[in-house]
Amino acid sequence: MTWYPRLLACVPLTLALTLPLIGADWGQFKGPNATGVSDEKALPLTWAKDQGVKWKAPLPARGVSSPVVVGDRAYVTCSSGKRDDRLHVLCFDAVTGKQLWHRQLTATGGTACHPKTCMAAPTPVADESGVYALFATGDLAAFDMDGTLRWYRSLVGDYPTITNQVGMAASPILAKGRLIVPMDNEGESFLAAVDTRYGTNVWKADRPKAVNWVTPLVREAGGKTEILLASPSGLAAYDLTTGEKQWIFKDGGGSIPTGVLGGDTLYLPGVGVTAVKLTDAGVAGEPVMKAKDVKSGYGSPLLYAGKVYATDGNGFISCADAKTGKLHYRERTKGVYSASPVAGDGKVYCLNETGVTTVVKADSTEFEVLATNDLGEEGLGTPAIARGCVFIRTDKALYCIGK
Amino acid sequence: MTRGNRAARYGWVAVVGVVLAAPAPAEDDITRALTTIKSVDREGKKNDSVGPAWRTLVAEGGPALLPTLAAIDDANPTAANWLRTAVDAIAEAEANASRPLPATKLEAFVKDTKNAPSARQLAYELLSKQDKSAPDRLLPGFLNDPNPDLRRDAIAAELDRLTKADPATAKPALERLFGFSRDKDQVDALVKKLGEAGVQVSVAEHFAFLTHWHLVGPFESEKGKALILSYPPEMATDLAATFPGKGGAKVGWKPYSTADKYGQMDLNKFLGKSMNAAAYARAVVNAESETPCQIRVGSPNAVQIFLNGKKLFEREEYHHGMNLDHHTGLGVLRKGENVILIKVCQNNQTDSWAQTWSFQARVCDATGGPLPGLTQVVLRGGQPVPLKLGESPEPDAILEGKK
Repeated sequence: MTWYPRLLACVPLTLALTLPLIGADWGQFKGPNATGVSDEKALPLTWAKDQGVKWKAPLPARGVSSPVVVGDRAYVTCSSGKRDDRLHVLCFDAVTGKQLWHRQLTATGGTACHPKTCMAAPTPVADESGVYALFATGDLAAFDMDGTLRWYRSLVGDYPTITNQVGMAASPILAKGRLIVPMDNEGESFLAAVDTRYGTNVWKADRPKAVNWVTPLVREAGGKTEILLASPSGLAAYDLTTGEKQWIFKDGGGSIPTGVLGGDTLYLPGVGVTAVKLTDAGVAGEPVMKAKDVKSGYGSPLLYAGKVYATDGNGFISCADAKTGKLHYRERTKGVYSASPVAGDGKVYCLNETGVTTVVKADSTEFEVLATNDLGEEGLGTPAIARGCVFIRTDKALYCIGK
Repeated sequence: MTRGNRAARYGWVAVVGVVLAAPAPAEDDITRALTTIKSVDREGKKNDSVGPAWRTLVAEGGPALLPTLAAIDDANPTAANWLRTAVDAIAEAEANASRPLPATKLEAFVKDTKNAPSARQLAYELLSKQDKSAPDRLLPGFLNDPNPDLRRDAIAAELDRLTKADPATAKPALERLFGFSRDKDQVDALVKKLGEAGVQVSVAEHFAFLTHWHLVGPFESEKGKALILSYPPEMATDLAATFPGKGGAKVGWKPYSTADKYGQMDLNKFLGKSMNAAAYARAVVNAESETPCQIRVGSPNAVQIFLNGKKLFEREEYHHGMNLDHHTGLGVLRKGENVILIKVCQNNQTDSWAQTWSFQARVCDATGGPLPGLTQVVLRGGQPVPLKLGESPEPDAILEGKK
């Protein structure tokens, strides 16, 4: 074999490692770079338990993580047992709903948590090669798409003081072939870049000791790729290559919802949503927008069609102009929200904790409810949008809604 | 026979002997793979060799199932999860190929309590999936099982049976079942059932809570570093000694007891409400012989657990919930008197839910059950008096130290 066929053979792999998750895939928490937005068209509008469901697959246990979908694979995590110490990773055929494989781990970290959450709280992240599943216990496993265990790590075994008795939920992400693992907690806190092939640390950056449920974001700045991570201490940026902290924005602190990037503007949840401009050096100047009534609870805000949306723990759906912050509406619906709103095809999907999805018209400054769809089962995980369908995981099943 | 012929003959004999003595190639591959997996190191450092070993093991299929289950016995928690997922993959492949698992061998494995509790549970689940009659056949034998989940399932099944039985005849069986119970919810359910049958039992004695303590404090938590600061009572042996306490006050050991059925000790009540503080609780347990033990502590505060001056455990986390048995110190009680010391630290959070300063502690075996030959040594009129662990104090002893 001469050198150039080898080089050509490497091209797809290189592309896969360098391109972000795009297109019809929904490979991580809130989809492509945690935007919560899909470019797909003809997404479903109405459904019920026995209507509009393409397939439904039973799940072995509860989870508040989101499903992720890459190619023809859908992945879900669950946790079970009296001590919530049974950790499940499942893979389904995204076309038919057939369960392809199911692997279990035994928790090696503490399993205490608030009753609303569980050990299957961080959303797994997937790419064409398979899935990386992190649990609130600090157990981290990489499976290929056929269920072969590529590697496994007990982060509590590696760093024994890790602890969060409320329950961890920040999700790992992939950035240019590295697995980014957020592990802010009351013990040894860190952000790590992990080699996807063997699971070893590429770098491990110290973080403040504090519980934090925020998922990292990725951005390009000055020829570098940065990992952004907010916490109660502020919003910090890390060089993806070295792990060195680049800058910190102390007013960008938060601990539960994750912000959202729109070009060079970062929308940060806090008291409502605040937008700041990012330059290569960090946050520039004063906030460019404040929407104080667009309040998030556990869910993260959504930037879509020139508006910012949020749902909260009191059942409110809020919407404001993304440039001016002018409130379009703040309307109360039945139930409360833990899942983040997601959007596509002109529709904003708001899933509440009892499994009711309120579909709101995006192309309107009025609160126009297009449909109210009830699955009748607990729904705390953020839905995924892929393959022209909406994937919702409840405490009992994974639903693929659409045609 | 010539010398040369003899040598040739002996040579063949030697070769045949080696071939017969050596394990079959597949068996050898399995053994090598298991050895490699069990060598897994911290931070994924051997994942490059463990991953291929996992694939080799799984490729061996059914013949590798029992050896893999058996290998969990002496595997560290990280290796155990590598092995656990291999069992999943092997069993799944066998099911997909419509090949039954070796039921007789699995059942023998489950029944042999010398095998690792987690491996036995896994074997039980594989067996039960294939043989629906297995739970009815096996669960009655698991009432006193070292595996908490097998024990729990067995107790649940027996409790369900007794609930439907004649209360008069069920009473002795309920008392026996209470002795086997370990999980709080099952203990509470059995206490209620026994109460309905006219039998009063002590929850505190059942769990072997330490209910009699000498307390000293509060001590100043300088810069909030109480957990890492070592205060004089850690080394003190004289109960009459006094120490410089918080705010310059002189503090000394005072006896306190609790009648709480879960052994709760409210330090705010006993020592006075104090923030940014540390306190020590000291109990003496007499063991008839050297006894491996677990000292299990629940507290919403940061804690350290000492046995006979040796620190067994520490955890710095505040006000993230209070769970029975959340912290465990592993130690060995020596024959005779043993000093158990619990350090409980309070931080300076002002939230209303962050004012609690309390703990509970018990001494038990690995299943959470009582250890034979233990008494708590309590001073009465200056004289040591042996009491059962969890024994309720005399009413006037609860606030004895306040006198």
